[in-house]
Formats: sequence, C-alpha cells, structure tokens
Amino acid sequence: MESPQDIPAVQELVRAQSRIRVRGGGSKSALAAEANVSLAGLSGMVQYDASEFTFTALAGTPVREVAEQLARHGQYLPFEPPLADDGATLGGTVAAGLSGSARYRYGGVRDFLLGVRLVDGRGELVRGGGNVVKNVAGFDLPKLMVGSLGRFGVVVELSFKVFPAPERTSTILAEFGHLDTAMAAVDRMATSPFDLMCLDVEPPNRLWIRIGGIGDALHARLARLTSLLEMSDARIGMFADDAEIWQDVSQFRWARENANLVKIPLVPSEVPRLEARIARWNGEVTRRYGVGGTVAYLAWSEPTVREGLESTLAAAHRSSLALWGDWPDPRLGPSTDNAMSDRLAAALDPQGKFAIAAAVAAPPGS
Amino acid sequence: MPFNELLSDLAALYPSDRLLTAAAQIMPYESDGLTAFRGRPSGVVLPVTADEVVETVRLCHRHDVPFMARGSGTSLSGGSVPVPDGLVIGLNRLNRILRYDPLHRVAVVEPGVINLRVSEHVAADGLYYAPDPSSGPVCTIGGNVAFNSGGVHCLKYGMTANHVLGLKCVLPDGEVVTLGGESLETVGPDLIGMFAGSEGLFGIALEITLRLLPRPEVYRTFLAAYDTLSAAGDAVSMVVASGLLPGAMEIMDRLAIDAAEAAVNAGYPADAQAVFLVELEGPREEVAAEEVRLMKLLDDSGATEIRVAKDDAERLTFWKGRKSAFSAVGRLSPDFIVQDGVVPRSRLGEALGEIERLSQEFGIRVANVFHAGDGNLHPLIMYDGRVAGALENAERLAGEILRLCIRMGGSITGEHGVGLEKRAYLGEMYEAADTRTMFAIRDAIDPKSLANRGKMLPDAEAPALASHGAHPLEQQGVISRM
Amino acid sequence: MLHEIPVERIGPAGQVMADAVGTCVHCGFCLPTCPTYDALGEEMDSPRGRIFLMKEVLEGNLPIDEAVPYIDRCLGCVGCVTSCPSGVEYGELLTPFRATAEQVRKRSPFDRLLRRFVLETLPYPRRFRLAALLGRLARPLRRLVPGRMGDMLGLLPARIPPSERLPEVFPHQGQRRARVALLVGCAQQVLAPEINWATIRVLSVNGVEVVIPRGQTCCGALAAHTGAAWQARRFARANLAAFPDDVDAILTNAAGCGSGMHEYPLWLAGQPEEDAARRFAGRCQDVSKFLDELGLQPPPALAEPLRVAYHDACHLAHAQRVRDQPRRLLRSIGNIELVEIPRGELCCGSAGTYNIEQPEIAHQLGSEKARSILWTGCQAVATGNIGCMTQLATHLELEERPLPVYHTMQLLDMAYRVEHGASNGVPGPETSEAATASATAE
Ligand SMILES: Cc1cc2nc3c(=O)[nH]c(=O)nc-3n(C[C@H](O)[C@H](O)[C@H](O)COP(=O)(O)OP(=O)(O)OC[C@H]3O[C@@H](n4cnc5c(N)ncnc54)[C@H](O)[C@@H]3O)c2cc1C
Ligand code: SF4
Ligand code: SF4
Repeated sequence: MESPQDIPAVQELVRAQSRIRVRGGGSKSALAAEANVSLAGLSGMVQYDASEFTFTALAGTPVREVAEQLARHGQYLPFEPPLADDGATLGGTVAAGLSGSARYRYGGVRDFLLGVRLVDGRGELVRGGGNVVKNVAGFDLPKLMVGSLGRFGVVVELSFKVFPAPERTSTILAEFGHLDTAMAAVDRMATSPFDLMCLDVEPPNRLWIRIGGIGDALHARLARLTSLLEMSDARIGMFADDAEIWQDVSQFRWARENANLVKIPLVPSEVPRLEARIARWNGEVTRRYGVGGTVAYLAWSEPTVREGLESTLAAAHRSSLALWGDWPDPRLGPSTDNAMSDRLAAALDPQGKFAIAAAVAAPPGS
Repeated sequence: MPFNELLSDLAALYPSDRLLTAAAQIMPYESDGLTAFRGRPSGVVLPVTADEVVETVRLCHRHDVPFMARGSGTSLSGGSVPVPDGLVIGLNRLNRILRYDPLHRVAVVEPGVINLRVSEHVAADGLYYAPDPSSGPVCTIGGNVAFNSGGVHCLKYGMTANHVLGLKCVLPDGEVVTLGGESLETVGPDLIGMFAGSEGLFGIALEITLRLLPRPEVYRTFLAAYDTLSAAGDAVSMVVASGLLPGAMEIMDRLAIDAAEAAVNAGYPADAQAVFLVELEGPREEVAAEEVRLMKLLDDSGATEIRVAKDDAERLTFWKGRKSAFSAVGRLSPDFIVQDGVVPRSRLGEALGEIERLSQEFGIRVANVFHAGDGNLHPLIMYDGRVAGALENAERLAGEILRLCIRMGGSITGEHGVGLEKRAYLGEMYEAADTRTMFAIRDAIDPKSLANRGKMLPDAEAPALASHGAHPLEQQGVISRM
Repeated sequence: MLHEIPVERIGPAGQVMADAVGTCVHCGFCLPTCPTYDALGEEMDSPRGRIFLMKEVLEGNLPIDEAVPYIDRCLGCVGCVTSCPSGVEYGELLTPFRATAEQVRKRSPFDRLLRRFVLETLPYPRRFRLAALLGRLARPLRRLVPGRMGDMLGLLPARIPPSERLPEVFPHQGQRRARVALLVGCAQQVLAPEINWATIRVLSVNGVEVVIPRGQTCCGALAAHTGAAWQARRFARANLAAFPDDVDAILTNAAGCGSGMHEYPLWLAGQPEEDAARRFAGRCQDVSKFLDELGLQPPPALAEPLRVAYHDACHLAHAQRVRDQPRRLLRSIGNIELVEIPRGELCCGSAGTYNIEQPEIAHQLGSEKARSILWTGCQAVATGNIGCMTQLATHLELEERPLPVYHTMQLLDMAYRVEHGASNGVPGPETSEAATASATAE
C-alpha cells in the first residue's frame, strides 16, 4: 500500500502505476478491498473561514476532525457524513456518495460540495468548481466525483459549504401498528411543512423523526408533530437528548453484527414491496430505510442472502452499492454506466487506470 | 452545403410550419437576453415530441451541422445565441408536464415547460419547485438545467442541479441516456450534476424529473433601508454570522431601486441608498422565534427603516420589484450588460466599494442588484450603444469586475453561465490544466463539437470579447452586434 | 436594444418607434402574456420577435412584406405592455408601423373587398345596422358561406335589437356631482344599445348629468389599428369638434374606443390639432374609472347570489391600465362573488377586426378563454367591452355552456334597479337575462 504525503506524490504515483485504487479511512470495507493507495497521509484543513461558512480540506481528512472543528463555531455539514467513528474521510464520503439521515432536510453530499482538486489519469492536477457558495463556471467536476468510486481520478482536495448548526434538536420515536400505517405517516410528514431534519423508517413499524432549530420554538413544534402522529394511532416516545441516537444511526450500529451492508436507493412506495420480498429471501436481513424512505440499508451475514438480493435488484431494476463485505465488485444490480459516463471516463482516464474491479467489470470481448 | 442536405432530411421530418428558414422567421431567433451579440442560424425547427428532437440531433450529427437547443432565449450570457449557420432546435412547444406524483413530490416535465408553471401546477397540493430565477415566468426548465440556474431563494435549498432527480437526454451524436431516477438518493457517479450547467454542450435534455418541496408554512419578508450600500452589505454579514438561515437575502442599490420603482411601483423607500430584502421561511413557531432575532439584528445594523410585509400580496410586491430589476434598468439606459460574478460573502463590502471605484474611473453608471446571501453580484453596467466606443468601454469595465471576482477567490459566474460572453475569462479563473480537461471532456462527449459550439469553452476558433479586439466571427461577418 | 433606425427619414412617428425599439432589452418577460405566442409558440409571433422584425424593417434589413404576416397576426391587445418591466410602448411602435405597411401591401381582391366592406360599415351605425340585419338573415346559411365571411356571420347576435335614439342630455338624479359627455360607440349602439342605457342610468343615479354630443362619430380605433391612418384621423378630428369643453370628463364604456381616443395625439402627431388632441385625450376615461374615483352610491344587493368572473378587456386592462376599478365597483354590489379567470391577462381573441383577418387564431383564443372562464365555475361573466362580450358569448356557446355576459355597467344597473323598482321611471331598454342571452342563444 502506497501512502503519498502530498499532492505531487499522488501525481507521481498515478503517472508511474498502471492501476490505482484508493482508500481513505477504510470505513466502507467493500469499497476499500483492492486499494493500493491510501490517502490517510493527505489530511488536514487547508482553509476554514468560519464567517464564510465554507472550508477546504485535503481528501484524507477524517470527517470526525472536520465535524469537531465546525462544531466549535456552531456549524455543521448538514448531510452528516456517516461512519465518522470508523475513520471515514471526506474523500471517501464523496467517492461513495454517502450521506447521513440528515440529508433529508437540506440535501446530500452532492448539494454541499463546492469544489475539488483531482489527479486525473494522466497525472495532471485538475481543479473543478471553486470555494465560493455559488459558481457555475465550467463543467461541474465536483458533482461528477460524488458516487464515482474514484473512477475518474484521485480526489485530493475538497471544498464544502456548511450551515449554522441547529441550536437544539429533539427526536420522536413513533410506533405504529403496521408498516403500512407507518409509511402513510411518512407520506404525510413528507408533504407537510414541518421542516424535519431526519425521517427514518425502522421496520417493521417504527419511525424516527428528528427536528432542529431555535430552542424556544422546538417545544411547540414537537407538540404539533406529536398530535399529528397520535391522530394516526402512533405510540410516541420523545428524546430531548438525542445526539447518541443519531450517532448510532450514523455508525450503522443496528447493523454492526453483520458482515454485509448495502445501500439501495428507492422511492417510499417500494418499501413495503421490498419488505415482502426480503421475507422470502434465504437468511436473516436487518433493515433500515432512511431519508423518508428513499434509501434502504440492508445488512446480513449469511451468504445465502446474496442470491435473493441479486434477483430482487434485477427484477426491480434497482442499482445498489455494497458498503461492507467482500465483493468482487461493490456495484450491484443493473449497471449505472452508460454512454455518458463511459465517455467521461475515456476523457479523464484514457488508460483505464482507475477502473473499478477491472477484472469483473471489463465488458465481454474487450 | 451540409445544411442543404440536412434541410431536405428535416423536411421529411417536419411540416413546413415547424421548419423555419425564411429570413423573417429566423431573424427573431438571432439573439437572447444579452443583445450585444447575435448570430444567424440557417434554420429553426420546432419539434413537438422528444423523438423529433432525437431524430433532429441524429441528422445534424450525420450532416455535421452544429445545433443549439433553445428554451425561451433569456440567457444573459449569450448562451442561446445561435451557432452561426447551424440549426436552432426550439423546445418551447415541448411543454407538457408528463407526470406528477404529489405523494412522492416529483414532477416529470418536458424541457420547454416554463419554470413558474411547475410551481403553479403543484400549488394546490401545498408543494412548490424551489429554484426561482427572476425570469421564472418566461424561462424554461431545459434552459435552467443547461445553466444550473439559481434565484433569490437558492440560499437554503440550492440551485437547479440540486432539484433535478432524473434526466433523459440525447447526447450530441443522437445516443439517448437516462440519468438518475425518482429517488432522492443515488448510487453511481452524479451524472445529473455533471449535465446540469453544461450549457448545452453535452446535448439536449428531453425529460426532467424534478423534486418538489412542501411549501413553507409561513414566510416573513423584511425590507430594511440603509443610507449606504456598505451598511446594507454589513447587515448581510451580521445575519450570516448570527446563525440564522433565511430563505433569501437580496440587496438593491439606489439606481436599481429607481428602475424597479418605475417598472412596478414596489413602494421601496424613496430616499434609501440601498434596500436589503430578507425572507424567513419555515414552520410558524420557528419563524416567529427567528423573527425576534432578525428584528434585533436589523435594528442594530443601522437601518433607517424596517418594514415587514403584512400579507402575501405585500410580500409579492417586495419581490416583484426585485425580480423585475434587470429589465427595468432598460428604463434608465438604452443598453446594459448584466454581470454575474461571485465573491466570498465576507468580502461583499470590499467588492462593492471596488465596483463603485471602477464605475467612477470608467465614467459608467453601474446599478447593483445582488444575491447578497451567496455573494453573487449582479452589476448592471449601463451604456448607450449608439455612442461610438461605449459598448467596448462597458465591456472593459465588465471585464475588470470579473477579474476583481477572480482575484478575491470568487467566480466569474454564479448562475448565468459562461455563454459567449465570459469565455475569455474562464481561462483566467482556471489553470491551463483545468481548461484542458474541460476540452478533453467536451471532445469525448462531442467529438465533432456540434452541440452549442463556441459556448463556454474559449475555442481557438472563437475566443474573445470585444475588449480583446473584435470577435473573430464578427470580423468574418458571421455574427454581429446589434 | 441597439438599433440603427433612420429616425428622420421615417417621419413624425420615427422617434416614437425608435424609442420603443431602443427600450426593449430582449428579456422575454412579455412572452407569457402574448396570446399569439401562447397559441403559435414561435418567436416571430411574440412581442419580442415582432419588435425585432419591425426594427429590421425600419433599418432596411428586411423587406416589409416578409415581416407583415407576423405583424398582421398581432392582436394589438398590448398585453405585452403590461408585462414589460422595461416600459416598451409597443402600441406606439405597432400603430405607425401598420400604417406604413398598409401603404405598401399587396392585398388579394377578396381581401381588399372584405376590408373595404368592414371599414365602410362597422364604424357607421346606420350602415352597420343594415349589414347586421342582412347578415342576421344570412346566418342560417353560415355553414355554406366560405371561410372568413362565414366566421363573421357566426359572431352576429341572434337578434338585432331595434334602434332607439339616445337623448341629447340625460339628467342626474339627486344632487349634481358631475357633468360628463359620453361616446356611445358605433357597433355597440347597434348590437347592444342596452349597454349605453345602463351606463346612462348608472351615471344618473350617481348624480352625474350625461351629455351625448350629436356630432360624434366612430372613435377611429378600428381604422387606426388596421392601418387606415387617414380614416382614423378623419374620425378623430370629427370627435375633437363634436365634444364640448364644458364637461368634467369624456367617458367611454367600450374599452376599444377608450384606448383609441387616448391615441389621438399619436394619430395627429405633427398635425395642427396635435395639442387639442392631447387635451382631449387627457379628459377621456373609462366610465368604470370615473365612477370609482367619484365614489359610488352604495348599490343594493342583487336578489340572488351571483358568482361572476371578471374578464379584463385588453384595451381596458392593458392599454388604459384600468384593472382594479371595475373589480371594486362589482365587489361593492352585494351578493356578487367576483372570481378571477386563470391566465386572465391573455386576450380573448376579439380585438377589432381580428376575427375577420385571423379567424383561426381568434377561434383558438376564444375557445381557450371560454374554457378558462368555465373552469372558475362562475354563473356569469362581466367585462368592459362589447367586442369581448360578443366573442365570449360566442365561444361559451360553442363550448355548449352558454352563460350570460354582462357589461360592468349592466350589473350595476341591475343592482340599482332592485332598489328603484323595475322601471325606475327611467326610459330605455333594460338588461335582463333574456336581453343578454340574445347574444348567446341561437
Ligand atoms: C430578466 C432576466 C432575469 C433573469 N434572472 C435570472 C436569475 O435570477 N437567475 C438565473 O440563474 N438566471 C436568470 N436569468 C437568465 C436566464 O433566464 C436563465 O439562464 C434561464 O435558465 C434560461 O432559460 P431559457 O429557457 O431562456 O434558456 P435559453 O436562453 O433558451 O437557453 C439557455 C442555454 O440552455 C441551452 N438549453 C436550452 N434548453 C436546453 C435543453 N432542453 N437541453 C440542453 N440545453 C438546453 C441553450 O442551448 C442555451 O445554451 C435571467 C434572465 C433575464 C432576461
Ligand atoms: S418584456 Fe419588454 S423589454 Fe422585455 S422583450 Fe418584451 S418588450 Fe422587450
Ligand atoms: S399586442 Fe398582444 S398580440 Fe400583439 S405582440 Fe403584444 S401581446 Fe402579442
């Protein structure tokens, strides 16, 4: 494993090697499996001006470190990058395209990334975007990096915008008689102007709802929310001290015992259907649906589950990403590649140095 | 002539009233919201189905004829000035809302749907489409996607790209790709984000899946008046620093106020040197609590007058003045250039001071309207095009302002795009390697450079603004100034 | 927008036209309020496109006859003026341009005949009445009559009311609050004389003495907007002479006439009467604006609740910027619930001779307007222009949902009559369901 300590070293590596797969903190084992370069050495805040509500940091900077610095100024990354305690880095979060439950309110990692510097397949250092909050000059390379799994280059530096952190937060746990009533409540919450921070579904019948804002207003907002939930016969629990609850969610604590974890984007109406399918799979699967039921996280240990997963993804035409586990290619289900991504890859990485799971991904005949 | 060959193929595809080639039919398509440039296309087609668009692009590709998609032609950067001798593909008739799902808060629209129509369409369900460019009653979603357009309410919820979940597009060679879907979450590279803001260089958006938001329960809109522009700028910094997160923060200076008043009688204070518009939005209890803090801040900021919109009608009047400001400046000056630079928000005051100085140095009036919360300036540089050298002078000033933004670590465009107008400055904002990469990307996606050729990238064959000497295409008589 | 229009060579209107072009910043804000852009979806049929075309013609870059088809399709509704933030006076560009275009245009013999017929009958009540009666007789043959003649017939009401001469002076009731002169309009007096009667009665109830000058003629708007400048000037001169100076205001109750009279200074630009025309125009106003400013005697409530959609006549709302006043008047009538028509700023397609010159577009706009009206679930429509009334009634009927269409003054008149008893001792035909429905039912 190479471990470059500065950007020129990354460029040199790229020029010298025929194949580059990068790892950050290794918190998403399925994505770090065949890495030969670690960016752990490329770490640290490059620039942070609290009055500007933006920062620039090297790609290997741990998310934890950033969050702590921001918190000192009452600021935060509103998509709350997951797996901070496992050493998740900014670069890894972007490459995996991973956002936390709080993405529900203001948007995900794509919505807060302002600029990147990356080393392309020729070893050139390229900047895209900038570090001001608004900028449409040139192609939006930063967005291309989100979820790219390093396919287009080695991201070495990133700029983000941040928001003032809510003064106080509170969490409601609502327990329903049935998944359907819980999902109906999700729809109701999602179309009403409650300005929720998080809206997670824990099957079979629970909703976790978080709100944040000015302390004085929180109480009244909670009261209104609970009365609405009680109307749909939910049993309510309240948590004023909720940091740990969401820390656990961010760490996928509920999935810890399992070897495998995958992410599947979907729409809320698919949740009951997916639940029904999973029940027929061969093996125990733990689930959680985040962001108002628009993403499923599934965890399991028994290898027999794989088959059920794969057939379901194919049938529902859903692409998925493995986060934990041992996978030849973490991209599951129908491929997200198309003519546009192929051409972008050809432009940025003409020699295919960054190809993901090259052995598996190579199309037949090439 | 490749165009003549294309023409006979197009004639098989389009009835004569949707294939325009007569002078009087194509002349009105020669320019967009930036009237300093015009380019004469060889023809205009008006497709009514996505299939027609795809087929048209394929034909252009086969015959090597450059094409440009056109929404409503409101680009302020020359982005929708036709490629000379190319084909204009007018998308305004592709204006259907194909699907609307209130429960999942998505709408699938054709590219010619007018921005404001989306919000109108979904209003009954308490939803809205957040990006609200001032041109909202006119501009199309396709144009918004191509330019990643913003608006006064983009402070909290972001620009167009942040609200597009799915896209179906035709690449410049006629290949159709589908990007994203209907979920807020995705896996795979964010190709939607990459397509948005590509200024038509990656092809044409055919179907766009938009994310809708629940309309905030309450809005509270404040108008604060100041004796100096810099005092208003400082007020913005105070609000930002306070930890409040308003939905919008806008500033207009005296000249802009005059123009807006003349246009729509917004009732802005008559003697203020600047007005600062701030809007809080959200659940009523939250907004009520924020209002107390904001009022205190505004009081402390030296505002000479503070007004709160008493109802929705007054709120709309406050915004109407702001939103008509660009065109309203037409009342103050026969011609003007709208600039779109961005500076770090904490350096707003400094930037405004410098613009003021430049304005005096050049002897050119500059009105300022800007998205203060994002540091996105919109200096309106006024000139009289009939006076010899006035345009060139105005463009030089515009260039100086862009350089100022670059020097301050900002951007040459926050939302209007590079277009034709700011190409020369892209290379000043980015390093050579960065622009080389952009070219490489364009060449990979569109090797023949057919899609909106000449925009955004400072091509060797068409590099510059007048401030760098006459435009080469102009010298050849291909494009001309009005 | 920059232009190179040779202002001096064009003549008196040159500067006005050049100013309109110069003020346009090509922003497109006018597109959504332009009915032809809405219907046709092409740039040359938009205000922005037409300004561009006219500029090119005036600059000498485009032969006028190539531009004319697109200028012809303009309704002259000036919806674009209302929505233009930059203050482009589109009408001031269009009218002189059309006059110029008319001089050089080659029309087909049928066209010429039709035009001649229209310009020689519509403005003259007696001729028009005769033509209308004949046309009425021919109406059952409508389907047999080809094209535009047939369309024309289709718009004629089912019954041409008997002509009843209006008095020269009509007294005020109670204390006199004002004295006004009224333009009675030409087509209106033939097709729906009850509108003038209603207007007079409403004014009278409000203490206004009404003079109806005998020498008045057609306002000339029809001629002006079809490019017959000389005829327009003749009418304008006649009216300048006919209307007295000793009145508080010169009123119209037909939006088209009102906006036409406001244009007299433009028509007579460079003529000896220019100043007089300016003074005259300064005293002209729509009756709804006048009554709103005067302050209405509170009208009694209608006997039954009525849900009324108010339709903005272009020449009232856009050309004279009279929007709130008629709404305020109507809202002051108890039992009336006023509703707004979606996309109300779009023209109904009536606009002078438009129905005759561009029947297809007129038809499309008319049915769209009718559908928008029906969408509101209203029971009746109110507006301030006879042309709109005919067009709306025709298209509501075509949608098979005929609704009564009233002039604002007729609804006020109905309300006052509730109090004063049916006949009120005041002469003249009344508005009744039957009278208005005559415009709608076969
Ligand atoms: C008065 C005024 C106010 C404005 N205010 C704002 C503002 O507040 N914020 C802001 O961001 N902008 C603003 N603009 C700029 C402009 O309205 C936006 O850039 C808008 O998105 C352009 O939309 P359009 O439909 O007019 O596109 P056009 O001008 O027709 O086209 C713009 C670009 O998009 C491309 N394009 C169009 N449709 C497609 C498609 N379907 N697929 C691919 N490419 C396509 C064109 O080729 C062109 O390059 C304003 C403009 C005016 C005149
Ligand atoms: S709104 Fe006015 S300035 Fe804008 S294009 Fe239309 S006429 Fe010109
Ligand atoms: S007058 Fe009416 S029809 Fe003519 S351009 Fe203006 S809005 Fe369109």
